[in-house]
Amino acid sequence: MSATVEDVPRFERRLFDPARRISRIGEGSLGGKARGLVTAARILRERRADLDVPGLSLDVPALCAVSTSVFDAFLDRNGLGPLLAEEPSDAVIALAFQKATLPAEWLGDLRSLAEDARVPLACRSSSALEDALGRPFAGVYGTKMIPGTPPDVAGRFKALVDAVKFVFATTFFHEARAYRRAVGELKEPERMAVVVQEVVGRRHGERFYPDLSGVARSYNFYPVAPAEPREGVVDLALGLGKTIVDGGRCWSFSPAHPKRPPPVGSVRDLVDVTQSRFWAVNVGPPPPYDPMTETEYLVHPHLAEAEADGTLRYAASTYDAGSDRLVPGTGRPGPRVLDFAPILSWNELPLVPALRRLLEVCEEEIEAPVEIEFALSLPPARPARLGFLQVRPLLVSHETEEVTADDLASPRAVVSSSHALGNGRHEVRDAVYVEPEAFEARLTPAVADEIEGLNRTLVEAGRPYLLVGFGRWGSSDPWLGIPVRWDQISGARGIVEATLPQMNPEPSQGAHFFHNLTSFSVLYLTVPFGTGRGVDWGWLESQELVARTAHVRHVRTQAPLVLRVDGRSRRGVAWTTGAA
Amino acid sequence: MAMKGVNAFEVAQAQFDKVAAILDLDPATRELLRWPLREHSFAIPVRMDDGRVRVFRGFRVQHNDARGPSKGGIRFHPQETLDTVRALATWMTWKCAVVDIPLGGGKGGVICDPHHLSQREQELICRGWVRQLARSVGPFQDVPAPDVMTSGQHMLWMLDEFEAIHGGHYPGFITGKPVGMGGSEGRTEATGYGVVFTIREALKELGLDVKATRASVQGFGNVAQYAIRLYTQIGGTVTCVACWDEADQTAYSFRRESGVDVDELVSISDRFGGIDRAKAKALGYEVLPGDAWLEQPVEILVPAALENQIRADNAPKIHAKVKLFAEGANGPTTPDADAILQEKGVFVVPDFLANAGGVTCSYFEQVQSNMNFYWEKDEVLARLDTKMTAAFHAVSELARKRKLFMRDAAYVIAINRVAQACRDRGWV
Repeated sequence: MSATVEDVPRFERRLFDPARRISRIGEGSLGGKARGLVTAARILRERRADLDVPGLSLDVPALCAVSTSVFDAFLDRNGLGPLLAEEPSDAVIALAFQKATLPAEWLGDLRSLAEDARVPLACRSSSALEDALGRPFAGVYGTKMIPGTPPDVAGRFKALVDAVKFVFATTFFHEARAYRRAVGELKEPERMAVVVQEVVGRRHGERFYPDLSGVARSYNFYPVAPAEPREGVVDLALGLGKTIVDGGRCWSFSPAHPKRPPPVGSVRDLVDVTQSRFWAVNVGPPPPYDPMTETEYLVHPHLAEAEADGTLRYAASTYDAGSDRLVPGTGRPGPRVLDFAPILSWNELPLVPALRRLLEVCEEEIEAPVEIEFALSLPPARPARLGFLQVRPLLVSHETEEVTADDLASPRAVVSSSHALGNGRHEVRDAVYVEPEAFEARLTPAVADEIEGLNRTLVEAGRPYLLVGFGRWGSSDPWLGIPVRWDQISGARGIVEATLPQMNPEPSQGAHFFHNLTSFSVLYLTVPFGTGRGVDWGWLESQELVARTAHVRHVRTQAPLVLRVDGRSRRGVAWTTGAA
Repeated sequence: MAMKGVNAFEVAQAQFDKVAAILDLDPATRELLRWPLREHSFAIPVRMDDGRVRVFRGFRVQHNDARGPSKGGIRFHPQETLDTVRALATWMTWKCAVVDIPLGGGKGGVICDPHHLSQREQELICRGWVRQLARSVGPFQDVPAPDVMTSGQHMLWMLDEFEAIHGGHYPGFITGKPVGMGGSEGRTEATGYGVVFTIREALKELGLDVKATRASVQGFGNVAQYAIRLYTQIGGTVTCVACWDEADQTAYSFRRESGVDVDELVSISDRFGGIDRAKAKALGYEVLPGDAWLEQPVEILVPAALENQIRADNAPKIHAKVKLFAEGANGPTTPDADAILQEKGVFVVPDFLANAGGVTCSYFEQVQSNMNFYWEKDEVLARLDTKMTAAFHAVSELARKRKLFMRDAAYVIAINRVAQACRDRGWV
């Protein structure tokens, strides 16, 4: 990952210049995301022969990185510093940024970019701090898709400029500040670059989206037997990758066992736990003008719309209630299940071998476990296009922290998990937990708000804590878990994903939210329903009550509570050092 | 405002003749383009504040409108002459053509000295000027703009009179209006920024990194200030600025090797752009004679003050380090000084290309006014950059291909475009 700004040629007023698929506007850092893309392009260039898979065309989509010097000049010349020092609301920041003017010397380049790009563009944040620290700040800052459809250059340019300003503004949004505060980097001024990149996909009437997008990791923090951690894991979703990034419903599989479905109670359950809506760029009539919203140019339709577009061809099976089984394809009526069976079970496209090779080659090149992002487009009468959208190292700690089977059964283990994520130990004196008796799935948004308030108090007091709740943390679907953002739980050093009969989804599979948790060494203990000792609710209740909201309690432990996770055995405990 | 010992219109015609020969224009086209299409000369009677009536002389020259409505400023100056206005109208035709905006060239003026006129008297001159020309100017015929000693206020008086005569709203009749009253965002910066856009592109051609360059600037008015500001923002260092001292009636140069700070200098300058010498010294500037700006060991010279500033007598003093000469002012270089610049191998961005940002933005203002829909500043400045950059590269490419001096290449492009428009219309 040694690409520097000098390695990237200047933008010469053509985005789709075959000689310069990657270019930059401005000087200074290009940020972590751009650096990842430069690395991806280098790997493709140097290892092309190893990555060739017949029937798939692999490329890094054309991109131009707007560097941090543009961001610096934007803040400076518009005098935004005093406003930002007051830490105003996100809306105030977004509005001030929209009203400000981008640096004059780069506007001509941006306009040429808009002139050249008649396809949807993704404007992604690419943080310099993330680059400097070598840690991904995935999902912390904004991304905005713009359609590229207005027939006039002025319309496309306006959308591009608004999007760049929006991404700049998200640098100072509440969530981003809380994130930096939590990781102790708030004193360092953040500088933002923006990657403007062609969106891989096809147009279907008023929508534009890839046939599938995905995230693949060469190391699986949650392997389900017979899969092994080293075999990696892939998440797939129809449409834009936002479904995966936001922790929505997607299809996870091990590249070594692609035909094996996720462990659910019954085939019927797959109808409920698989993807039911997808994200696409709106390339139809312009939506109401709303430059301060990330999803201004996005739509989130139901699968029926995709079926009408013909894009379920490689993605769906149909649930046959009579036989309680999945029938490949969409030839008969019935609920659709996005299990990507034509690709994963019937090998109609060589996606799995292509991903395996890509993960292997990237691991070799980066010399660490990796995470890659990709999107697949299936244009008629042409080879499928696999867009390589990101590569970054995965942080996998290998320091020894031994947790034995006996430890899990010990009365000192307040929480026991044989499905823990991360590696290492933390000591805390505070615990925040959702009361099991008061919990209902419909209340998860309110629970998230309550936790945010307690988190703020604990962060301000400099007290790390253990967080215990039900379902998938950080899920965008409030029926699957508590829909917290990272900043709402930023002080937690250990998180327990407990289950109840009515809140028993599949364990989380590493959206960006989880990537951040592991990157910052937050220990994550999953307690599947009805397994082992689980959570000692009685012990938690016996501790000193500090604060209580409608559904959440904050207690202070009499003796330090040590959170320990053994990354090799995947055992984890919250261990009381006082009387059990 | 006649040039000392020089008839500006004769200079303009001589320049045209040189390029007409390069283009091998036919006699009829030469005759058509050597002279203005139309000239209006008229009297403007004004009842002065003391009750007496004084008659002012007004002009409007429309040099050529084959490519679109005439465009050009209105000057209020006691030494105004018809020949000066003719020359300036001719240069406007070429300026609009070289940046490829669909406008022709015009210029107007009134022989008067606003320093000795009240606001009311100036308003009456403006209204009288429009009354005399109301049927010969307008959004689709001839679009005036501010120039020497006229401002946005004068434009609004003229617009009001025009609209009263024609019975409607015609904001596209005139440009240079204040923002919010039909003016365009970015107009204030446009000329200075345009100069820097051409400097930026020229440096690329010369293979020079802007961060490794220094510049010396003559003038500290609007054009110079915005040029210095943007050039500094993109990484260059301005080490010397020259400006006129109204009290001493002479020019001084202000030098600071570490670089001038435009905001600092603005804070110690008067409304004419004259810099306070004592305060400048206190801030670490050396105060040097007026011509010293020309002799600085810098890579870039930017004359952004008046015409005829670089002549045969001072051009040899230009330092050997100078690689680029970007003319922010109109006509700052006499033809004999031009020859010296050629000999020295200095890359020249000629005035009517370098300072065309102003008229380009005026064109944008007219477009916005005609639509009655106004763009954001990002949009205006982006379009300005695109236009200026494209124009620069068209000229430099021709200069390279045909081994022409940049000024000649710019004239060749401009005159050829206008001549072609005349032919297309069947005029010649």
